[in-house]
Amino acid sequence: MNTEQGSTNLPRILVIDDEAAIQRFLKTALDTADFSVHQAADAHSGLAAAVAVRPDLILLDLGLPDLDGIEVIRRIREWSQVPIIVLSVREREDDKVKALDTGADDYLTKPFGVAELLARVKVALRRSLQQAPEPVFQVGELVVDLPHRVVTVRGEQVALTPTEYDLLRMLVVHAGKVLTHSQILKQIWGTAYLEQPHVLRVNISNLRRKIELDPSRPRFIITEPGVGYRLKSPD
Amino acid sequence: MKRGSPFINPPYVGPFTRYLFAIAMVAGTTVLCEQARPYLSPVNMVMPYLLAVVLAAVFLGRLPAIITALLGVVAFDFFFVPPRFSLTIHDKEYLVTFVTLFTVGVVISTLVAKVRESLETLRVREQQTSSLYNLSRDLAAAVDTTAVLSAVLRHIEQSLDAQVVILTPADGELFAAAATDAVELNSDEKEIATWSFRSRRLAGRGTGSYPESPWRFLPLKALADVLGVLCISIDESRHPEGRQLHRFVNSFATQTSMALERIRLIGEAQQAQLLMARENLERALLNSISHDLRTPLAAITGVLSTLVEEEDKLSAPNRADLLETARDQAERLNRFVANLLDMTRLEAGALQPRPEPCDIQDLIGCALAAAEPRLSGREVSVSLEPDLPLVSLDLVLMIQVMVNLLENAGKHTPEGSPIELAARTEGDRLVIEVSDRGPGVPEHDLGKIFDKFYRTPVPEGAGGTGLGLSICKGIVEAHGGSIAAENRKEGGLKVIVTLHRDWPAGGREPS
Repeated sequence: MNTEQGSTNLPRILVIDDEAAIQRFLKTALDTADFSVHQAADAHSGLAAAVAVRPDLILLDLGLPDLDGIEVIRRIREWSQVPIIVLSVREREDDKVKALDTGADDYLTKPFGVAELLARVKVALRRSLQQAPEPVFQVGELVVDLPHRVVTVRGEQVALTPTEYDLLRMLVVHAGKVLTHSQILKQIWGTAYLEQPHVLRVNISNLRRKIELDPSRPRFIITEPGVGYRLKSPD
Repeated sequence: MKRGSPFINPPYVGPFTRYLFAIAMVAGTTVLCEQARPYLSPVNMVMPYLLAVVLAAVFLGRLPAIITALLGVVAFDFFFVPPRFSLTIHDKEYLVTFVTLFTVGVVISTLVAKVRESLETLRVREQQTSSLYNLSRDLAAAVDTTAVLSAVLRHIEQSLDAQVVILTPADGELFAAAATDAVELNSDEKEIATWSFRSRRLAGRGTGSYPESPWRFLPLKALADVLGVLCISIDESRHPEGRQLHRFVNSFATQTSMALERIRLIGEAQQAQLLMARENLERALLNSISHDLRTPLAAITGVLSTLVEEEDKLSAPNRADLLETARDQAERLNRFVANLLDMTRLEAGALQPRPEPCDIQDLIGCALAAAEPRLSGREVSVSLEPDLPLVSLDLVLMIQVMVNLLENAGKHTPEGSPIELAARTEGDRLVIEVSDRGPGVPEHDLGKIFDKFYRTPVPEGAGGTGLGLSICKGIVEAHGGSIAAENRKEGGLKVIVTLHRDWPAGGREPS
């Protein structure tokens, strides 16, 4: 762990990863993007650093040598809502879902590029600073006016069923963040529907047909295969 | 079992009858001599009695012949040596005749018996030799264990008329692999068989171990281990050969073990050949894999060392170009490793699809999002049947299939040529087609393109791993579906994926 001097005004990011090469890459990339980077090489020093540094965001590798990454998330969530982005590999969709359901905010699949990293970090930081969602959400040609429950695409108002609207609103409120299937099912349909994933598929499909220009190349509602859905964030 | 000539082999007649025959012969000879008495001197009458002894020796065996000799002496003395009808002898010379007659009887009968015994031995031996020969001929033709065992059973039944059980080991226990008409061993007998199997020694009747058993247990010994136990129960009263018989049965057991061993060795040889073929294939795979891993690594290493060592001399565009190359190669490496891992998991059976209801449009959208950036500007036209139902599949794996198919189409077609993606339902099936306008695949190779490491010649750099399509096949088949390729009439290749709409509830595709 090292604390940068004279960088107190910069957002602090704690990187918990046991791979020295990944640490070096993240440090360089985040330093360059004006973040103050703090590092921990295992779960226990990471948890200690989370207390000492009070980071604005945590990048957490799920494959740590001393403790399961999911357990690290659980322990941090016991006392802090600091955004956590987990780093995982392609095949471990289950781990990603578990991490998200345990309270992680997002994930990055290794290997990832710096643009993707910074985009996720920025979305997570903005969301954590934001007290309430913007009343009018806009991404590209999609405008969702939350107070008036009005959805317009390319200037035209779209008629949504109440469920479709609830679904879209949930995605809008968490724009840029991935929502797992069970998180959406639980909130929109209730826990009884956790084992009924098809209602979610059908509603997403209908929603896309109404708001996407080409539903085979969705630009607003992005599927995260095996994990959930993400609404494209305004940047 | 066919017996030898009755002139040589008397045992059909019981011992008691034989003595009766002996008495009858003496009586008959006496009657004949009585008839001839007016023309023969008593001394010459010895000759018919001698003849009777010889005949008895030939037909009745040794003891009846001796009895015949003895009775002959008595009858000759009583009826023909004066004074007749008395055993007293006036002329002491007749004693010589008596002794000679008797001695000749004994000697002849002994000689004849010996000849007969050796003939009998020869006969039995010849018979056994021929049945062993027949057995070995049948065993040589046997191609598997079952054929060996049934040949052994058949021959033992034919030549010995015995009950047979052949036990072979499986998982450390002996099981009856073959037996004559539903014969079964009881538990004691099984124990003896097991003992014989473990100790590699004969057991049961006629041996030092468990001689009280009616069965004889012969371990079927091969070079290194025991292949089973031949259990045989013979009605010995019908086989007087004794030791011969045991030797014969032993030869049967030896022949059986040799045949079983041969079958086993053939199996092992085939296994070895198979293993070798597999090793060759694996070596080829390894070469291919190491090439696919090293090429991008070499490019990346080259780029990085250039950047580190020649940084000052590089112009900005060159530098950017190098970095772009390194990133492309890193992505290529990542895709290759991903493919390799998928392949390994598929082959290890660790890639189990977890089906969930999926929107086909979503599947295609995800695949396009992943593949389109790598299709260098080729246009993918999508045509979906309206209102496609949700289909039960593993979205992550099936995206992999679609991405591989799209990339494969991109790799083998000229830049700018269109790729078509279509999905429709056919009864209870979902059919997804990826078609291109490339050169297609030679007809005789159509079936091979899903084989691991099959590659068609492609421009350098576009080089595939030869894994993509075989992964597709693996994943689709793990979904109970099928994948096929055909050349389009208008040119280009079409790959067709067929899935069951309600898999895994529905039936699997017949393979």
